[in-house]
Amino acid sequence: MAGENRDMVQGTLEMLVLKTLALEPMHGYGIALRIEQISNGVFRVNPGSLLPALSRMERTGRIKAEWRATENNRRAKYYALTERGRKSLQEERRQWGRQIAAINRILEA
Amino acid sequence: MLRNVIGGIRALVRRNERNAEIQEELCSFQEASVEEKIRRGMSREAALRAARAEAGSAESVRQRVWAAGWESAADSLWQDLRYAVRMLAKSPGFTAVAVLMLALGIGANAAIFSVINAVLLRPLQYPDPGQLVNVSEAKPKAGVSGVGASWPAFVELRDHSHMFNSVAGLAFHALTLTGHGEPADVSTIAVTPDFFSLLGTKPLLGRALSPADGERGAAPVVVISENLWRSRFAADPGIAGTSIALDQRAYIVVGVMPAGFQTPFFSQTDQVWIPLVQDPLFSAWTTRPPQAHWLPVIARLRSGISPDQARAKLETISAGLASQFPAEEGWQVAIEPLQQTIVGDVKAPLLLLWCAVGFLLLIACANIANLLLTRATSRSKEIAVRIALGANKRRIARQLLTESAILGLLGGATGVFLAWWSVSALASLLPAELTQLHSIRVDGSVAGFALVLSMAASLVFGLAPVLHATRPDPQANLREGSRAGDARGSQRVRSFLAAAEVALAMVLLIGAGLLMRSFARLLSVTPGFETENMVKAEISLPRFQYSRPEQWTAFSNELMTRLQAEPGLQDSAIAAPLPILDNSVNLPFAIAGNPPQPQGATDTADYIAASPGYFRVMGIPLIRGRLFSEDDSASTPPVAVISKTLARRYFTHENPLGRHLIFGFPPHGDVPREIVGVVADIHDVSLAKSPGPMMYVPFAQVPFWGGEVVVRSRLSETAVAAAIRTETHNIDKDLPVTDIESFPDAVHASVAEPRFRTMLLGLFSAIALSLAAIGIFGVVSFSVSRRTREIGVRMALGATPGSVRLLVIGESVKLVLFGLAAGIPVALMLTHFLSALLFAITPTDPLTFIGVALLMMLVALAAAYLPARRAMRVDPMVALRCE
Repeated sequence: MAGENRDMVQGTLEMLVLKTLALEPMHGYGIALRIEQISNGVFRVNPGSLLPALSRMERTGRIKAEWRATENNRRAKYYALTERGRKSLQEERRQWGRQIAAINRILEA
Repeated sequence: MLRNVIGGIRALVRRNERNAEIQEELCSFQEASVEEKIRRGMSREAALRAARAEAGSAESVRQRVWAAGWESAADSLWQDLRYAVRMLAKSPGFTAVAVLMLALGIGANAAIFSVINAVLLRPLQYPDPGQLVNVSEAKPKAGVSGVGASWPAFVELRDHSHMFNSVAGLAFHALTLTGHGEPADVSTIAVTPDFFSLLGTKPLLGRALSPADGERGAAPVVVISENLWRSRFAADPGIAGTSIALDQRAYIVVGVMPAGFQTPFFSQTDQVWIPLVQDPLFSAWTTRPPQAHWLPVIARLRSGISPDQARAKLETISAGLASQFPAEEGWQVAIEPLQQTIVGDVKAPLLLLWCAVGFLLLIACANIANLLLTRATSRSKEIAVRIALGANKRRIARQLLTESAILGLLGGATGVFLAWWSVSALASLLPAELTQLHSIRVDGSVAGFALVLSMAASLVFGLAPVLHATRPDPQANLREGSRAGDARGSQRVRSFLAAAEVALAMVLLIGAGLLMRSFARLLSVTPGFETENMVKAEISLPRFQYSRPEQWTAFSNELMTRLQAEPGLQDSAIAAPLPILDNSVNLPFAIAGNPPQPQGATDTADYIAASPGYFRVMGIPLIRGRLFSEDDSASTPPVAVISKTLARRYFTHENPLGRHLIFGFPPHGDVPREIVGVVADIHDVSLAKSPGPMMYVPFAQVPFWGGEVVVRSRLSETAVAAAIRTETHNIDKDLPVTDIESFPDAVHASVAEPRFRTMLLGLFSAIALSLAAIGIFGVVSFSVSRRTREIGVRMALGATPGSVRLLVIGESVKLVLFGLAAGIPVALMLTHFLSALLFAITPTDPLTFIGVALLMMLVALAAAYLPARRAMRVDPMVALRCE
């Protein structure tokens, strides 16, 4: 598990997923694609890290999942943010903002 | 949280459903990815490949999703456990041997730990045991230490030191209890009244002693122990206020102490406590100030005062005493924690045994590690395949460790059982003076210790196969698997482990060998007196009825006459004390006519009062002069017989006969006695202590309230005892005859402690030796089966069976030689810790070292015997074809 996610700041994957899902419910690949597109390809999320993260977040109740048909008429598991996930996202954003600001202050000092 | 738990359980229960779901999600992810790539213009094939490359192994993704929940850890643990149990059950022989070896190691450790826990670690069973100290006096210049306090020192500490909450003296002897069944000696502890409050124990019934009981002239009272109360007084609830007869004097029972209450330094449990002032013997010693250091004293420090602070103050007190009593010059009052005093001599042997069992456990671990390695080699193909199929190493390591942990738990549990089973036998071997003997048991802390130990052990021996299985190059394992394991590296580890076992076993054996040789020397010491056909019995005269010395002489004369007339008894005498069997009495003496000794440099010698027949009965030869005769009596001039050592040391160039020695039992310490004879030396204190100067006085001139009757007779011990008892009761039916013992038994008992440690260390090293032999056997025989092909080739090329045998034996001998090379220096370093426990033998005794080395070589040969035979029977054709 160590080193599975070298190209992403440790612990940010779940926050990014939450943020992505805040727009609309999405299936796994959709989330991966969205993160990759919005980050201009900086973050590539492979299923080996995304699916375990989704499973963890589902287990802790921050997202909920249901099987639905996709636009191409395939079955896929769609994830949606729960109320708890929304709060968690706010909290993590706040934390993140604080940390970034702190890091910036250190770097510019 | 709850959702998490429920989700986990659901996933565990509907494992297949959950797996299918993960699988399906992964599929849909892949498909979506492929579609997206095609939409961007890739060919379908290229898109498929790219998507697969991005995602990695589908199986490992599935594993990781599965591993995201807690249930996977629980699940894999459960899997590991089931798998481990299956693997162990599949090779019951291996499992049994490993568990047994570990059980021996853990069991020995747990048993010794239970003793150490009770004796050394667990605090004494009194409130605030840390504040309890033992008070003793020492005279460093004269080499005297650890003796009791003098009465003035006790009074000073009790009344003027301000360091102690309370100070109490306690002196032991036996009084005769009459009136409730057979007359019996009861152990009596004469105490100052603070004794019970100092130790902080409440009586079961009635009250303990009060300060008023310690006043001179108070009514005599007694506190009895619960055990005596039950055995002798049928647990009479109304016993308080009734009176019992001790030495035929009435004492009023005021209370009963619970059975759990232990008197320090005293392990018996049916005793009585009386105020010291009421004691027929000791009370007299408190009135005059004889400078005898006779009173064992314990004290409770005020809270907040540490023993070190108290020690500083004690110097002032010692100086004050010396200025008050000039004869006390040079004496110092010393304190040490009470527990330390009680533990005393057994600490070193116990720590020694602890080390020994630690070694034993290490050997057992090395052996099991070797067994596991052998197994790991034969399983290396299985493991290599699993790694190649994507199992991660951590998982495999965990699974192997689970297997060792199960072995560890099984071994630990069996070991605790072994310890529980053997610990009472162990306690019975320990010296009886240890007050904590009754609390030696396998309890929770011992079981906990064993559990921790077995887990640590399983980690130690479990590491070997893990390192072997998870080494960086799984291909090596795959290759090896195909050729029956050419594991050179692991063979080296195995050889190293076996050699280490030999080294450890060797250290243990040398320790045991030294103790055995020392013990044999101890037993071969001739005590200087006869022991064959000798029986002794103790008779004590009640001091209130027999209060005058003339009565004591009359009684002993009468008894001697009667015993001499008994047909079966060849010869008899009376004396006090007996050498080795009793505590020795050491008294200062001076030689009349010599210049006075400088202050603080008193000469002392051991003292025995003996009837005329004593030397004859005991077989102590006369060297010059004469022995005592019936004519030496209270009305004739005092005489003495001295030992050869005293004569040689103090009358080097002169004839001692006719000179006078000034000595005596307090308060008659200044009686000049003419030396009339010199006798051979005897061991007075113990077999281990070489004979010192001794002086004898005629029993009739210095009578005692009883004494030890020694009888030489070919009759059985019981017949002799019966004769002594009958004749004694013919004189006075209320006299107790106690402590009947044959001399050989008594001498045997006097070396109980060295026998204890010798036997245990011998037992442990025997186990260690057999474990090491098994270890060598395992390594050599595995190596033979590994080299079957090579041996076949050699034989095909003309090697004789003899040379093959040499090859195998050489391997075993090489292991032992490496072991010896490592073990001997370690033994040389460690054995000097033994020197305090050795008698007449140096810790580097060459004979022991050589003997043990030879023994190890023999073991090497024996362990190689079977493998060598198998190697010689290798059929070259079969060996060459078999692979």
